Amino acid sequence: MAASETPGWPLAEDAPDTADLAKCVHCGLCVNACPTYAITGLEVESPRGRIHLARAVAEERIPLTEAVQGHWELCLQCRACEAVCPSGVPYGRIMERARAQLDAAPPSKGWERRLRRFALRNVIARPRVLAALLAPVRWFARSPLRGLLRRSGVLRFTGPLGRLEAQLGRPGRPYRPRDNAGDGDVALFTGCVMSELFGDAHRASMRVLERSGARAFAPRGQGCCGALSAHDGDLAQARRLARANIATFEASGAETIVVNSAGCGAAMKEYGELLAGDPDSADRAEAMAARVIDFSEYLAGRDLPAGRLEGRIAYQDACHLAHAQGISAEPRALLGALDGCELVETEGADMCCGAAGIYSLIQPAMSGELRARKAAQFREHKPDVIVTANPGCQMQYEAAVREAGIEARVLHLAEALDSE
Amino acid sequence: MTVSAGLLQALRDVVGKEHVLHKPEDLLVYELDGTIDRSLPDAVVFPGNTEEVQAVVRACNGFDVPVTPRGAGTGLSGGAVPTRQGVVLATARMRRILDVDPVERTATVEPGVPNIQLSEIAAEHGLFYAPDPSSQKACTIGGNVAENAGGPHCLALGVTTNHVIGMEVVTASGEVEWLGSHGPDPVGYDLRGVFIGSEGTLGIATKVVVRLVPVPDTVVTLLAIFDDVESASETVSAVIGAGLVPAALEMMDRVTLQAAEAGLRCGYPPDAGAVLLIELDGIEEVVRGQVTQARAACNEHGATEIRTATEPAERELLWKGRKGAIGALGRIAPNYYLLDGVVPRSRLVETMGEVARISEGYGFPVANVFHAGDGNLHPCLLFDEREPGTTARVLEAGAAIMRVCVEAGGALTGEHGVGFEKNRFMPWLYSETDLENMRRVRGVFGNEGAFNPCKVLPEGTGCGEMAHQQGALAAAGPDAYV
Repeated sequence: MAASETPGWPLAEDAPDTADLAKCVHCGLCVNACPTYAITGLEVESPRGRIHLARAVAEERIPLTEAVQGHWELCLQCRACEAVCPSGVPYGRIMERARAQLDAAPPSKGWERRLRRFALRNVIARPRVLAALLAPVRWFARSPLRGLLRRSGVLRFTGPLGRLEAQLGRPGRPYRPRDNAGDGDVALFTGCVMSELFGDAHRASMRVLERSGARAFAPRGQGCCGALSAHDGDLAQARRLARANIATFEASGAETIVVNSAGCGAAMKEYGELLAGDPDSADRAEAMAARVIDFSEYLAGRDLPAGRLEGRIAYQDACHLAHAQGISAEPRALLGALDGCELVETEGADMCCGAAGIYSLIQPAMSGELRARKAAQFREHKPDVIVTANPGCQMQYEAAVREAGIEARVLHLAEALDSE
Repeated sequence: MTVSAGLLQALRDVVGKEHVLHKPEDLLVYELDGTIDRSLPDAVVFPGNTEEVQAVVRACNGFDVPVTPRGAGTGLSGGAVPTRQGVVLATARMRRILDVDPVERTATVEPGVPNIQLSEIAAEHGLFYAPDPSSQKACTIGGNVAENAGGPHCLALGVTTNHVIGMEVVTASGEVEWLGSHGPDPVGYDLRGVFIGSEGTLGIATKVVVRLVPVPDTVVTLLAIFDDVESASETVSAVIGAGLVPAALEMMDRVTLQAAEAGLRCGYPPDAGAVLLIELDGIEEVVRGQVTQARAACNEHGATEIRTATEPAERELLWKGRKGAIGALGRIAPNYYLLDGVVPRSRLVETMGEVARISEGYGFPVANVFHAGDGNLHPCLLFDEREPGTTARVLEAGAAIMRVCVEAGGALTGEHGVGFEKNRFMPWLYSETDLENMRRVRGVFGNEGAFNPCKVLPEGTGCGEMAHQQGALAAAGPDAYV
């Protein structure tokens, strides 16, 4: 897009596309699907409001101010609005590009953005650094020290660290690509945090895939999908990570790439869009995106012998599975086929839990409001097991279960299906 | 800036600082609803209860500043656009369900409750709320009352005014009053009926008592496919002529079907010329007979295929396309101008021809969705507002279409309201005496012209008429009394 078309944007090459913005006919059908509108009742905290702000900035009616930044940053990017939008407005793409503008010229909180960018580029995206950083976290999660700190109440005063502690389950061993780097017909995407803190979910995924008759493996050299960077507006970094993964999975020879984390799956299915402007990678990105399939989507087309899981299961949709990928029936059908279980539908199961990638760390108040809604539902329905399909959501539900004061296990879908 | 520091402070004193918006960035989205008209407010205020609504209205009146009520901002005639700036009074915080009475089959709710929520809470008692505008997932009961909203399922059961028993309102002058009753039979003048459909010019409903109706035993939805709009229209007349009153009887043309199918993947045949959605409900034996009759009418008038949906999921899919059809037009054009006119059913085919002729003359593609059963047309003119001068021309074309509806013996609006969009056309339907009487009704509720100004009735000056609207009026013909 030519810079002259978008005079209001500081970073012309990643400016929200005027055609994307024009797609919004401001009918307002999205407002009630939006979690931040549900909490605030303010249209300026709704998709229509945020798009209208983007149009106003593009048309130079208003400058890119701190207030505009605030409204865009409060967005969870859950894309519930996209699922109900009759006009097909690509809201997720608009918001990523709007945030790219904030990244280029932040009206405020510049140091926060720089810190986040640094962490996403140099910790999350570097497997060894991430592994080194999370090893003590895994140790802490299972150590007596944790119980001691909890009982002492000191965690309440540690801000973000305390909030992270509440979200931490009891992570098992990590699961890294080298643990199963052979070959097969199905490649498992292992991701970044997921492989370090949710190794159990990956091992369960492997077993379930094999039970369904697949020959699954985890190609070496894969890394973070780039979703966290893209959502924060660091599209350059997201593209770098996408290119690296494309090369890895091309070399792997796998026909199918199974992703068990909703946020990563949604991002990888959109690699084609992300790299559309890059002549060297555009076609390869499209080809890769076409091979990506969600774990539950893959299993829905196969013959999986039923496992067994006792108790009442509350499935909670991961936003990027239900809204961005349109997958909500498949996980429920798979869970419903388990012997001994009863599926419980809670109100707002498809509404964002407030985890939203790194959102729970940077917008703790709104994240807390949304978590409290989930906790209230858990208190009412008292499920024995809460199942979801995204690591961030899983962490948020750990905290919600504690907030609800109930005894419930939080499992990844693969772990639930793996029970026998 | 018409809102002074003094008024801003007064508003904050009433509702609390956090419930008053006044920064330019925060106000922007409140300049529009679902239509073309725009005007920026000076402040948006969110009262939490009747007393606060009253205090806000009184404060604005005291400072002589216009007040424009707003629900979810999904309206389609500019009703929630603050045409003369001033204060937007939004009901978003007033979304409590106050009471559900399954024995009396009523519910009492605050105005900000979304329409869909009424049916959701009534469902546990086997009841639902009948009027179902296509925006029902977002639009509010307060907005429905203001616009006397309809919807596909209003053919058999009636529109909002047939389902609202009574209301607590804050009038334009700031009085709290009760209109109608809690029971079904109000006596005396029906002020409730006057208020419903007054488009927010008489006051703001702060509590609404609605009637809930039983969910029917059996519901069957038919999708009948035709080669052209004419055969579908003849079928509509045949169905009604056979004595059937379907729960809904909807038509979509080719352009609409293509957009809906592209956007919503609901299984519509994208190459058909027109489809009818016919919904029949009631006791199973009766419905079975009606389905046979309706199918016969369709076959007789050239239906190429008839699909039958009985399961809720199948029916929901068919309706998903219809309810999202207008918005789905965003997939084939950046903007649409959605019109709302009514003609007698017998003039449907001929009016459609005129609509096609006018839109072709102006060079705008047209998509048609209609509540065919009651002759309510929704032609959508597709355009791109970024092309200079286009908005003015599309308004001109719209005015010409409205003129055709009126001349066919119809009306200016079926359900979207007159609002700001069509107030200038009112003299086509009403004499100066009629209009003066309506102005006097406003006066009864204390509206001296500053309460949702420039809506419904044509106003002389001060309404920021845009040149293109004057042009639209001029192009449509003289202000004749029809």
